[in-house]
Amino acid sequence: MSAATTAAPPAARGRAPGARAGAVRLVGLAALALYAAVSLYPFLWMVSGAFKDRFEILAGGHLIPVRPTLDTLLQTWSELRFLDYFLNSLRVTGFTVLGVLAVYSLASYAFAVLDFPGRRALFWFFVGLLFVPGITVLLPVVILENRLGILGTHLGLVLPFVNGTAPLTVLMLTNAFRSVPRELHDAARVDGAGEARIFWRVYLPLSRPTMITVAVLVAVPTWNEYVLTRVSLTEESRYTLPLALESLATGNVPQYNEIMAGSLIIVVPVIVLFLALQRYFVSGLAGAVKD
Amino acid sequence: MEIDVVGRAAPVRDVLAPAPQPAAPGRSRWRGWLTGYAFVAPAVALFLLMGLYTIGYGVSLSFAEWNGFTPTWEWVGLDNYLDLLYRDPGLAPGLHRAALNTAVVMVVVPLGTIVLALPLAVLLNRVTRLRGLLRSVFFLPYVTSGIAVYYAWRYLLEPEGPINFLLRSLGLGGLARPQGFLADPATALPTLIVIMIWSAVPVAMLLYLAGLQSINPNVVEAAQMDGASPARVVRHIVWPLLRPITAAIVLLGLRDSMQGFQIFLVMTDGGPAGHTDVLGLQAYHLAFFKGLSSTLGLASALGWMIFLAALALTLLNARTLRSGR
Repeated sequence: MSAATTAAPPAARGRAPGARAGAVRLVGLAALALYAAVSLYPFLWMVSGAFKDRFEILAGGHLIPVRPTLDTLLQTWSELRFLDYFLNSLRVTGFTVLGVLAVYSLASYAFAVLDFPGRRALFWFFVGLLFVPGITVLLPVVILENRLGILGTHLGLVLPFVNGTAPLTVLMLTNAFRSVPRELHDAARVDGAGEARIFWRVYLPLSRPTMITVAVLVAVPTWNEYVLTRVSLTEESRYTLPLALESLATGNVPQYNEIMAGSLIIVVPVIVLFLALQRYFVSGLAGAVKD
Repeated sequence: MEIDVVGRAAPVRDVLAPAPQPAAPGRSRWRGWLTGYAFVAPAVALFLLMGLYTIGYGVSLSFAEWNGFTPTWEWVGLDNYLDLLYRDPGLAPGLHRAALNTAVVMVVVPLGTIVLALPLAVLLNRVTRLRGLLRSVFFLPYVTSGIAVYYAWRYLLEPEGPINFLLRSLGLGGLARPQGFLADPATALPTLIVIMIWSAVPVAMLLYLAGLQSINPNVVEAAQMDGASPARVVRHIVWPLLRPITAAIVLLGLRDSMQGFQIFLVMTDGGPAGHTDVLGLQAYHLAFFKGLSSTLGLASALGWMIFLAALALTLLNARTLRSGR
């Protein structure tokens, strides 16, 4: 950084005295540990609250419940019909992810590999949609769905959710397909494979980490979506988990232990999904950076 | 693993460099084009249904007055825009405040995200043993982001909640907020900004980490051997790699802070007394919570003004992005 450092002989540089290097390392580790605690903090209290009864939650202050109880979780799950909401959420999220992967992997393959007039314009058009704010189209979507008779159904959620992910998904998948060596495609063509077959047998398997990354990046916000869901679903039997949690929280006497139990029910599946797919997810994101 | 090798062999490139196609005779070229169109057809069809109609409808609605129930619209030209911008004393001041809050969020959130995420990524890149575990823990705020964790934060920030309790027991009782952090006009917006940064750090950190890991250590070592100072190494080897990542993080952060209002809706609904009102939330209220009054045109107009602002920002940012691409 300074002139002195630049002037030092190359061998001496980068080798700080042992004690100082150790101290630096320690400070670094402490900073990492501190941020780990910050990341965990709300989650810890969510777990803590979910295992407290309605009296202990009001006493506050202590993280570890004195009289841990499973009743709060069990009651929230069964009496408040969280199983139904859970399945609704699963349905909406599942179909959205499948729809996104199906629709935009095909389109991205066309953008990355095939050649047709208007390809470039169409690609930039889809990516450009990134800047159309969700709030701008929210009202027209509701009005349109009302006319089509799908407002308030799960299909009415899935269609705009899929459409809304187009920009980022197209960008990531086109990048991934683009980084598959062209020779593989041409060799398969010479062997007589059609484009559909090459897409399915060569490009999709090679782009698995990106596909999984896209799936996670789509699944998490969809699972948590609250804005469109809130204004379109009116029938309680179709509620997804965020709406169920909201009605729990806006009841006459909101009970934080029940709200935390409900929150935990929402959060745990996503954490499990992430931990299970983390390896692919990380390498998929890394791939997105590299290209 | 194979992917990694492939990825590394293929450095930065133009996504849409023309695909090398063998010169084909007329008919098979047509077939190739048709195949291309067939592949994009589902995406285009979905867009025509969900995108084009809604965009066209939204634009025309922004020039009309409608309450959602009457059979006809009343065309009012630019009135909705002008009312929102300055003319209507019942609307404009609230909008100005929301715009100011949105601007603050748009500056502070991306900045704070980068200031936290980059050092964390650098530190994490040096750790070897606990990296996997730490990475998972750091990622928790992203994975759990959304309504559930917003309620957890609300619980933490209650007047008698854990954060006030923690501050008092640390002897920092002066920082505690007896009304709760979200009900206190002085702390409501800063608190939400902190939570937004907390949610945005994970992805940014992971992107930086991936960027740092793709730096070839041999190149760095060779540069050091040649007598390059640490500053030069950072400037000529590390930063060129991190710059496009930073651009992407800033861009996504701007987009999220301009458009995202879920956290505001769930945690404060604009309160206390408009201190956390943002543009997205205003449009949402105008669109869905005004009963029978004719505010749908206003909502649409506000939506398009948000869009135009986003577009202007993007164009401003385009140079950074292009150099990063």
